[in-house]
Amino acid sequence: MPAPGRFACGEQMGRGPYEKAGLIRDTALPPHRTVVETFEIPFPYEKTEQGKEIYGKPLFKAMDIVVELWYVPFGETEGPAARWNQLERKETKRVTID
Amino acid sequence: MRCFKLVVVLACLGWPFILLPCPDVHAASPSKRATTIDELAAKYDVSSCKECHEEIYEQWEASAHSKSIFGVGARTAATIGTTITKGLMTWPYSGVEKPEDVKLKHLMLCTKCHLPQLEDATDDVAQEIVKAVFGLWEKEIKKESVEKLKKININCLICHQTKAITHKWAQGFPQRDAVYGTQEGAHDDEKYPVMKKSEILHESVFCGQCHGLGPNLEFEEPSQCPTAYGSYLFAYIPEGGHETCQSCHIRKFNKGHVMPAYRDADMAEAAVSFEVNAFGYYWRKNKLEGVIPLAVVRVEMTNKTGHGIPDG
Repeated sequence: MPAPGRFACGEQMGRGPYEKAGLIRDTALPPHRTVVETFEIPFPYEKTEQGKEIYGKPLFKAMDIVVELWYVPFGETEGPAARWNQLERKETKRVTID
Repeated sequence: MRCFKLVVVLACLGWPFILLPCPDVHAASPSKRATTIDELAAKYDVSSCKECHEEIYEQWEASAHSKSIFGVGARTAATIGTTITKGLMTWPYSGVEKPEDVKLKHLMLCTKCHLPQLEDATDDVAQEIVKAVFGLWEKEIKKESVEKLKKININCLICHQTKAITHKWAQGFPQRDAVYGTQEGAHDDEKYPVMKKSEILHESVFCGQCHGLGPNLEFEEPSQCPTAYGSYLFAYIPEGGHETCQSCHIRKFNKGHVMPAYRDADMAEAAVSFEVNAFGYYWRKNKLEGVIPLAVVRVEMTNKTGHGIPDG
């Protein structure tokens, strides 16, 4: 989302249309573009030795990863302000390893 | 002496014409301005539009425009309240120490876009709006306050008259007896008997009048709400985009005068594509930690709209 400056001065983000002016940063998804984000999530594992090498033995062979995309303007996922939440996409991927 | 007399006579003949106001039919003289919310609502009454444009009227009633001062879930009214308490009342040069000091020019920070017709009102109406905004939190007058704030909004006349022309020197000023659309001719309405064509009704600049280029630097104290039009001009168009606001928000998904955004499931779905791919592998991290099992999740998000998402 756009992070507007406070009276367009300094480093502080403004709050409310009465303070917001200009932009310090904008993390919104830009129009007509694809944004790619990559996450690396280690499987829970225990350290073992295979010869001279340290080897992480996964504690389980499959992991369900839930990926959520949301915009929560007032920082609440529940409660009265949650009515203005946007987007809310959710996808679960099962990742397996041998 | 004769020359001097001639000059004086000519000046006297011309004087009445110098005093005539410029033909800005949009401006109201102070004596004609609304002095109450009810008067303002009556000046901009659009109930007659429903007789012939019923479907469009009902679409508008479901839109955020029809609640532009009250807001969806009173959000707009609440923000007007915090603009007063956390903004105006804290600024040493605003002239506002208490809500009762708020005048038209102070509310224009918000109403430039949320209620443009407030320019046609007096400071009394500004005060009435302020009282109603704070009245939302007083049990005894809450219902009355809600009703008052819901009477005034961005309605048919604001788009189809007040805001119908941006380039007024080239294309004229909006006429008070006309409604602006796609055609010229007679219009079957006593108060608005003329139908005129607006050159910008289907152009993005029409929406851009309110839907944000950034700080309103023309004000003594600039406010800034949305920046969607700025994002449209400076990000979407340079990326090769060519559709208009109206294309997506009115026509493409058949939403008409509801003109919804994220609150509509179809619009929310169409706005962003969201793809997730994931796989696992053993990653040779370093000597200390060795080879570890890792899941890699790649998330691709494509914004398919004409502006940044979210905006704010």
